[in-house]
Amino acid sequence: MNAMNTLPKYIVTLCDGPTCMHQRSKTLKAVIEEELKKRGLYETTSLVLSGCLGMCNKSPIVIVNPGYTIYGGVSPEDIPEIVEEHLVKGKPVARLAIEEDYLYNRFYRVFGDVAFFGQQMRIALRNCGIMDPESLDDYLSLRGYEALAKVLTDMSPAQVISEVKKSGLRGRGGAGFLTGLKWENTARQKSDEKFVICNADEGDPGAFMDRSTIEGDPHTVIEGMIIGGYAIGAHRGFVYIRAEYPLAIRRLRKAIDEARREGLLGTTILDSAFSFDIEIKLGAGAFVCGEETALIHSIEGRRGMPRPRPPYPSQKGLWGRPTLINNVETWANIPVIVLDGADWFTTIGTEKSKGTKVFALAGNVQNTGLVEVPMGTTLREIIYDIGGGIPDNKKFKAVQTGGPSGGCLPEQYLDTRVDYESLQAAGSIMGSGGMIVMDEGVCMVNIAKFFLEFTQNESCGKCTPCREGTKRMLEILQRITKGEGIEGDIEKLERLGTMISKASLCGLGQSAPNPVLSTLRHFRAEYEEHIKNKRCPAGTCVDLLSYTITDGCVGCGLCRKKCPVGAISGEPKQRHVIDQAACINCGQCYAACKFNAIQKS
Amino acid sequence: MSLPLEIIKKKRAEAINRIIGRGFLSTKRVYVGMATCEIAAGSKEVMNAFREAIQTGLTDVYLTQKGCAGRCNLEPTVEIVEEGKIPIKYGRVTREKVREIVERHLKKGEVIEEWVIK
Repeated sequence: MNAMNTLPKYIVTLCDGPTCMHQRSKTLKAVIEEELKKRGLYETTSLVLSGCLGMCNKSPIVIVNPGYTIYGGVSPEDIPEIVEEHLVKGKPVARLAIEEDYLYNRFYRVFGDVAFFGQQMRIALRNCGIMDPESLDDYLSLRGYEALAKVLTDMSPAQVISEVKKSGLRGRGGAGFLTGLKWENTARQKSDEKFVICNADEGDPGAFMDRSTIEGDPHTVIEGMIIGGYAIGAHRGFVYIRAEYPLAIRRLRKAIDEARREGLLGTTILDSAFSFDIEIKLGAGAFVCGEETALIHSIEGRRGMPRPRPPYPSQKGLWGRPTLINNVETWANIPVIVLDGADWFTTIGTEKSKGTKVFALAGNVQNTGLVEVPMGTTLREIIYDIGGGIPDNKKFKAVQTGGPSGGCLPEQYLDTRVDYESLQAAGSIMGSGGMIVMDEGVCMVNIAKFFLEFTQNESCGKCTPCREGTKRMLEILQRITKGEGIEGDIEKLERLGTMISKASLCGLGQSAPNPVLSTLRHFRAEYEEHIKNKRCPAGTCVDLLSYTITDGCVGCGLCRKKCPVGAISGEPKQRHVIDQAACINCGQCYAACKFNAIQKS
Repeated sequence: MSLPLEIIKKKRAEAINRIIGRGFLSTKRVYVGMATCEIAAGSKEVMNAFREAIQTGLTDVYLTQKGCAGRCNLEPTVEIVEEGKIPIKYGRVTREKVREIVERHLKKGEVIEEWVIK
C-alpha cells in the first residue's frame, strides 16, 4: 500500500477554547463530520479540536492545513461550501477567510496537527523549533525586532509601560508579581543610572524552560530586554545565566554580537536616540542566586546571599540603582504584547492570570517535554491530553509543580486550573514551570525528603530558620524513611515547617517546607504508615521493605547464589528461607527469581 | 534619517533575500533539532548524515538547524517542510533513518509513516 494514502490530505482544526465552545464548536464538528462522510472525504481528512487559538473575536474558528487558511465566524451553513470549494477543489473560500497575523501562528503552521502541540499555544516559545536560533536573518524574517522598532517609532516609555500593565502579564519566574507594575515602579525612581536584568538562573531540578527558550530563540529575550530598558530609562542590561548552560550561553553571545553589528543593540539603536547594551554574567550554579537580591549580589561580585526587602530592586538594586529584573519567559512575552497588543493578550488565560505558561513536563508521563498552555488549562488536560497519561497502565498518584518550592497535588486536584491563584489555593505554587508527574510506585515521604535535601543543600546559611530548620526537618524525614519514626514526628514537622515559612529571610527558605507540608496535607496516611507500622506503601523505602520466600519456591538456589550477604539458605529442590536479621533489603533475590516466589512487602 | 520601523522593514527584506539566497525556496526544507537535549539524543550525527547526503549529490533541499520544539522523549526530531503540504515530523531519528529519509522521502517523495510523530 502506498504510504501517502493513509496520511490525511487535509487537516481541519476547530478551536475548542471557551469562547468558541460557547459558539458551539462541537455542533460544528458534527456538521463537518457529516459533510465529509457525504462527500467520501472522511478517511482522507483529519478533524481535530484544539485549545484556544487566541482569535476569540472571530469565533468560531476553523483552520485548514496545509496552507493555514483561517476561517472565522463559521456557521453550520458555511460548511458545505468550505468542503466543496476547499477540500474537494482545493480553492480556499475567500469570503470566510481571515488574515490574522499573530506571532504565535507560525509555530502552529508546522506543528498544529500533532496532538501534543495542537492543544498548546506558543507565545514565549513561538519561534522555538521553527527557526535557526543562530541566525539573526531567521529571527528578522519572523518579524523579529519589529516590536522594538515600533516602540522606538511610535511609543513613549509611559505608553510601553501602560501597554504591559494592560496586558496583565505577571512574572513567570514564579511569584507572579504584575510585570507592568514592576516596570512602572522602576521607571518612577529618580536616579543617574538604572539597570535591566534577565534572570536566567534556572535552578529547579528537572526544569529547562529558560534553557530551551534561549537555545531556541535568543533574540526574543534580547528584544524584550531592550524594550524594558527603553521603558524604564536604562542603558545597560545583564543576563545572569548559569555556567552549566554552555550552548545557551554560546547562542546568546552570538545573538548579542549579531544584534550589535546590525545596529539593534548598542548606541543609537535603529538610528533612534536610544542606546542600550547587554552583558552576560555567568552564575556558578547556586540555587539561591535565582532569588533576585542574591542574584544582584552575585553580579556585583559579592557572595550570593539574599537581603531583606524592602527596599526592592526596583528602588535599590544593582549597585544601589533602580533595577528591573524579570525572568527569561517574561522577557520573551514582551515583543508579542507590543506587536499583537495588550487587548489581544488579555483574551488568553483566566481573569487574574493572562497569557500562557511554559511547563517542563517530566516524570511518569508518556510524553515528556516542553509545553506552553493558556493559563486556565487544567492539570488533567496537561497530563492526560498533552502528556498522554501515565505509562505502563499504572495509576496516577500526584503531580508536583513549582520544583523544590512547590507542592504535590493528589488526584482530586487534577481539575485544578493552572493559574497563580488556583494552584496556591490547592496547596502548591505556579513556580517557574517544573511539573513532575508521579505514579503509584512513588513514595511521597521519599519525594518530600528528596526536595528538602535539595533546598537544605542549597540553603545559603544566612538566616537561622532556613539553615537550621531545614536540617532538622530533613533529619526527621530521614528517620521516618529508615523506619525509625516516632509518635509526634508529624506534628514536629508541621510546627517546624510553618515556622520556617514564616521566619525565613527569602523565598528559598519561605517555600522550602512546601513539599513536606503539602504531602502532609494530602498524603498524611502514608507518613503514618511509615511511622506506626514501619511500612512503605509504595514499596520504595529500602529500609522498610522485607523480602520473604513463598510456597512457589522450587529450590533452584539462584537467590542463594545472588544474595551478597549470605542471608538465604536452603537445600536444593527445597523451599529456601531468608534470614531477616542478616538481610540488607537489596532486592537482588527479588529481581533474580524466575518463579515470582519472592514477596516484597 | 529613517524611522526605526522603516529601517526594520528594510532589514527584514534584506534578511529574507539572504535566506532565499541560501536556498530557502528549495522544494523541501529540512530542520534538524539542535538544542542541548537534541544533541544529547544524538542530533549532531543526524545533521552530519544530512550534510553528507548533500555533499554526495542530494539537491533541491534546504538544510537548517532549529531549537527544541519540546518533544523530549522523541528526540532527535527532524521536520521536512514542503510548500502546500502538511509538514512531516520525524521522531527518534538516527544516522540509519536519515539514509532512508534521504532515499525515500527527499528523493522520491514517499513519507515514511511509521516514524512520523502524530
